[in-house]
Amino acid sequence: MTTRAEFLGDIRREMAKTRGLFETLPAPRPADAGQAAEVVRRQMLERWLQALERFRDEFERIAGVFHRVASLDEVPGAIGRIARERQASSIVSWHPGVLGVDLRQSLGREGFSVAIAPDADPDVAERLSHRTAAAVAEIGVTGVDWALAETGTLVLVSGRGRPRSTSLLPATHVAVFARDRLVESLEHVGIMLEALHVDPARTMSGAVINFITGPSRTADIELTLTRGVHGPKEVHAIFVEGR
Amino acid sequence: MSDASLRTPFTLRAHGALEDRYLQEALGIATTKFIDLRKEAFADFPQGEALRDRARAIKEGTLQQLDRHLERLADNVERLGGHVHWAATGDEARDIVLRLCRDKGVRMAVKSKSMATEEIELNDALEAAGVKPVETDLGEYIIQLAHEKPSHIIAPAIHKTKGQVADLFSKELGGRFEADPEVLTAVARKELRQKFLDADMGITGANFAVAETGTIVLVTNEGNGRMVTSLPRIHVAVMGMEKVIPTMTDLMVFLAILARSATGQKLSSYTTLVRGPRQPGETEGPEELHLILMDNGRTRQIAGALREALYCLRCGACLNVCPVYRQIGGHAYGYTYPGPIGILLTAMLKGAASVKDLAHASSLCGACKDVCPVRIDIPRMLVDLREQLDEKKIASWSERMVFGLARRLMVSPSLFGLGAALGRIAQRPFLRNGRVRGLPLFFGKWTRTRDLPPVASRTFSERWKDLDPP
Repeated sequence: MTTRAEFLGDIRREMAKTRGLFETLPAPRPADAGQAAEVVRRQMLERWLQALERFRDEFERIAGVFHRVASLDEVPGAIGRIARERQASSIVSWHPGVLGVDLRQSLGREGFSVAIAPDADPDVAERLSHRTAAAVAEIGVTGVDWALAETGTLVLVSGRGRPRSTSLLPATHVAVFARDRLVESLEHVGIMLEALHVDPARTMSGAVINFITGPSRTADIELTLTRGVHGPKEVHAIFVEGR
Repeated sequence: MSDASLRTPFTLRAHGALEDRYLQEALGIATTKFIDLRKEAFADFPQGEALRDRARAIKEGTLQQLDRHLERLADNVERLGGHVHWAATGDEARDIVLRLCRDKGVRMAVKSKSMATEEIELNDALEAAGVKPVETDLGEYIIQLAHEKPSHIIAPAIHKTKGQVADLFSKELGGRFEADPEVLTAVARKELRQKFLDADMGITGANFAVAETGTIVLVTNEGNGRMVTSLPRIHVAVMGMEKVIPTMTDLMVFLAILARSATGQKLSSYTTLVRGPRQPGETEGPEELHLILMDNGRTRQIAGALREALYCLRCGACLNVCPVYRQIGGHAYGYTYPGPIGILLTAMLKGAASVKDLAHASSLCGACKDVCPVRIDIPRMLVDLREQLDEKKIASWSERMVFGLARRLMVSPSLFGLGAALGRIAQRPFLRNGRVRGLPLFFGKWTRTRDLPPVASRTFSERWKDLDPP
């Protein structure tokens, strides 16, 4: 069995033979990630409207469905419409604490079955039952950590009350976000992720960050584009204008 | 591909591919489509060229401090609760996975597409050990059911028609399925969904690993990478050690060019950043995460002739533009990695002797270098490889003799003049319409498909001598 020391020793021995190579410096990156992220946030306060238009264009280009509502109060109604159009009756959602809205009250009353992700440390039984609920749900509702305009991408960080499967197992994924989530470019996302990792314990409780760019797709059979091979067939984004 | 099938010489494998009419058509359509998609993606993206330069610089810079970055990656993965394994060889990497399966009572493993596990032929080993490996990328799933090998790095089943896939699914899964990609995809979704939920282990490769944060990065379009890293209780990632990059900022540079080069998308549908096993408070995620860092011949090239091949992102762009690949497809290459970069990677993993024929399966046109997102100088390395084969006397004796003679002629002006004079006489019986055709013996291999320009009746140097000096 090769040990770490042996493995790295082999590499170092070969590296020693390459002295004199033209030294290549690492890529430039923000010196203070937190500050750089703050600068981006301030810029986006000015530029969010252009970013939103770009996001919408790019998101629709990759077959995303864009919705706009005036306030969080209208979110359950919008989700109900999406569900009814698809004759779906079961919904799984991130915890209201992170989503900003509790779907159980309104949609539950309308006869939908709504499963909510636990936000306290779940035990094995809770985890299994939530997984089963997510596996059978037809609609998965999540928040968004960053909405990336240049590519129409939704970036979701997993964690307490925000399971990774909500945006994966149901055939339709609905993501809800407001203007403070918009960023312009991959470079911006890079700055945000640098800042997130400065002290991940404080800001990030989960293990996975997903960049979601449209529905699940494949072209593996005769290069014919087909959606929804493993993940969602449809991705919806609901933009919430006000509070 | 097993070494047995490699006993068929490359020329025969290539001939087989050339005679397969469906393969010819599928290859033509697929590669042309990928070329166009890539071209459009970069036409819309003026910063792309500068990002390619930066990506190349990041790869080179990382390689110059590879030991440090790997240590950092390992420390961070362990800090987050993951386990790191060091595999000097492919055998060792395979043994590590098998041991994990045995120790943890694994009966079924779901896999997302990974060239690294293809490289070590992990599936065969798993099956032999009584573990059922299930490929979950649709293309890989198809070829696994058909007991075949991938023919393209990113579109593994392009050599199959929808009719063949429908027959295959009907036979293997029971039922009668229509030859419609939409229907067949739905069949695979249903079949594999249950497997994701039932499997004990998820096996992936890694497109990148970020040293500073201990993050393993997977890029997929189907979402199987997400399933495999979320649902089973154990996640094992097998990664070629050169995939490490320093920071999140660097990752964004690669993401901006990877999908554009591969499929012409701005980003693939899913980019998944995995940082450790399930964290406290999370409802899902594996209880255990194992990262296997694999050398398997890579270290030898840090100071070797193939160093630049360690930059490769496995995007497949060089396959699509290669005039040789476009004709013969991936299978004829015979090893895991096809296409121009595949020749170099095969030489890296299996030694130069394994590519003594393949090293010549390139016209050195340079199209691969032009499209490579990190501008790997593939043609230069292919020439270096041919030189090595000659120096180490691996190349065939006839090849070495011909080139040896050519060299002697070319370094000596008097011999060169004599050679030209002799050539002028010797070529006479074979001259047709001002071209040399139908040469005898093994020279005939050249003239069978190509014309040779004849030696001029008066050569340049002969005419030079007649010029009046100014």
